Amino acid sequence: MPGGIAFEFPQLYFTGLWVTIQISILGLLSALFIGTVVAVMRVSPFAPLRWIGAAYVEFYRNTPLVVQLFFLFLGLPLIGFRFSTDTFEHIFRAASIGMGVYHGAYVAEVVRGGLLGVDRGQIEAARSLGLSYLQMLRYVQLPQTFRSVIPPLGNIGIALVKNTSLASTIGVTELLFAAEIVESRTFRAEEAFLAATLLYLSLTIPLGIAVNTLERRMLVAR
Amino acid sequence: MRGLTRTFALGLVLAFIATACTGGGTATPSATAAATASTSTRPKFDLATYQYSLQTKGKIRIGTQEDNTPFSVKNPATGKWDGFDVAYGREIAKAIFGESDDPDKFIEWVPVTSATRIPSLTDNKADVIIKTFTINEDRKKQIDFTDVYFRTGQRILVKKDNTSIKEAADLAGKTVCAQRGSTSEQNITKATTGAARPLLLDSYPACLLALQQGQADAVSTDETILFGLAKADPNTKIVGKYFSTELYGIGVKKSVGGDRTGFVDFLNRTQVGMITNGVWATLYEKYISPVSFDKKRTPDD
Repeated sequence: MPGGIAFEFPQLYFTGLWVTIQISILGLLSALFIGTVVAVMRVSPFAPLRWIGAAYVEFYRNTPLVVQLFFLFLGLPLIGFRFSTDTFEHIFRAASIGMGVYHGAYVAEVVRGGLLGVDRGQIEAARSLGLSYLQMLRYVQLPQTFRSVIPPLGNIGIALVKNTSLASTIGVTELLFAAEIVESRTFRAEEAFLAATLLYLSLTIPLGIAVNTLERRMLVAR
Repeated sequence: MRGLTRTFALGLVLAFIATACTGGGTATPSATAAATASTSTRPKFDLATYQYSLQTKGKIRIGTQEDNTPFSVKNPATGKWDGFDVAYGREIAKAIFGESDDPDKFIEWVPVTSATRIPSLTDNKADVIIKTFTINEDRKKQIDFTDVYFRTGQRILVKKDNTSIKEAADLAGKTVCAQRGSTSEQNITKATTGAARPLLLDSYPACLLALQQGQADAVSTDETILFGLAKADPNTKIVGKYFSTELYGIGVKKSVGGDRTGFVDFLNRTQVGMITNGVWATLYEKYISPVSFDKKRTPDD
C-alpha cells in the first residue's frame, strides 16, 4: 500500500502530522489577525499608520521564511528574548509565530484589495448616516471584504500548511521532519516521502474543498 | 510581404541548426586533443574497471559538504574547496588522471549533507562520497564502503562554564544538538537510553549557534567535528570520553551489473599508497593537527 510506512512508524508520522496541524492552525489564526490589522492600517486615513503597514508588508513579504524562522529561533535569544525557557516549546512557538507574521503580510495585501473593492458610495453613505470610522469598518466594509476575498485567502491557507515543513529546519519535529528521520533509519526514501506527501494532501485537499464550499455559501449577488 | 517574413524565419531556423552542428563538430576534436596530451602521465587501468571509464570521461564527481571543518569547507569568497576530505579527494583524482598541479580540473564537487549522502550515490549524482561518512551495517546494505580512512569517536561540546555535563550519561534530560540523519543522533539516544532530548538541525554550525544562544545544553558528535567548533568559539570546551567509535569510509555505489567494477579495490590500493608514501600523514598534519594537537601516520594510530 502506498504510504504504508506511516503505519510502521506511527509514533513519528502521526505525532509529526499533529504538530503540522497545530502549527497550521495557530499560524492561520495569527496570519488572519495580523493581516486584517495591517490591511486596515494600510487604508487608514492616518498617514503614519499607512507607512507602518506598508513597511510591515514589504519587510515580511520580501525576506525568506527560513531566515525569519532562524531569526525567531536563534536571533531573538541573542537580544535576550525567548518565547519559552524550554527549547522545544520555544521552537514550536517560534515556528507558529513565524508562520503568522510571514503569511500575515500576504493576507494583508489580499484584505487590502478587498477593502478597496468595497463601493465608495457605501462608505460615504455609512459615514453620512453617522457611523464612526470604526463602526463603518466593522459593519460595512470588513464584512463585504471577507466575503469577496475567501478564494485568495484559501490559497494563502494552503500555502501556509505546506510551508510549515520549513519548521523542520529549526528542529520542530513536524511531518517532513518525521519523514526525514524515517528515511535516515530505513533508507526507504521513496516510501518515507511518499507517505509524507499523502499526509500533506490529506490536509490540503480537504482545506481546498472547505474553502470552495465556503465561497459558494458566502457568495453575494452583485 | 508575408512570403518574405516566412523566408526570413526559415533562414533563421537554418542558421540556428547550422550553428548548432558546427558547435558540436568542433567540440569533439578539441576534447580528443586534450585527452591525448595527458596520456603520457596517466595511469593505465583495465578496460572493464570503473576508474578506467572515469579516466575516459575526464571527470570524477566527488560529494562532500560545504561547511564541515576541518574536513571540507567551501570558501564562500573564492569558491575554493579545502579540508582533509577535500585534499583526500584530490589525491584520488591524481591517482586516476595522473599527477597534476591542479587536480580540481578533473573534479566536479557535489555538495551533499548527511541526509543526501546515500541518495546522491544511489541516484548516480556522485562517484564517491568523502564526507566524515561513518561505516555501519545499515548503510552497507545500501552502498559500498572503502577501508577505514579515518578513525574517531563521539564526544560532547559544552559551554566553558558548564560543570554539570562531564560524560555521556550526564546528557539525560538535557537538550543535545546533533545533525539530522547522522549516526551521532542515534549514539546519543543509545548512550542515554533515550533520556536526552535531541534537537536536530541541518548542520553543526547551526548547532553551535543553538549552544551559544542557550537553546541547547550540549552539542555531540564526532570529536574531529567538535574540534572545529571549539576552535570557532573559544567559550566552549570538549568533555567526556569517546562513547562511540566512528570509522569513516569513502562511500561508493554498489556495483550493479558491473558498473563499478574494481573501484573499491582501486580506492583501497590508493589509500595504502597514501599511507606508505606519507601523504596521509601530511594531510593529517595539515588539517587535523591544528585542532587536535596530535600527529598520526595511519588511520589506526
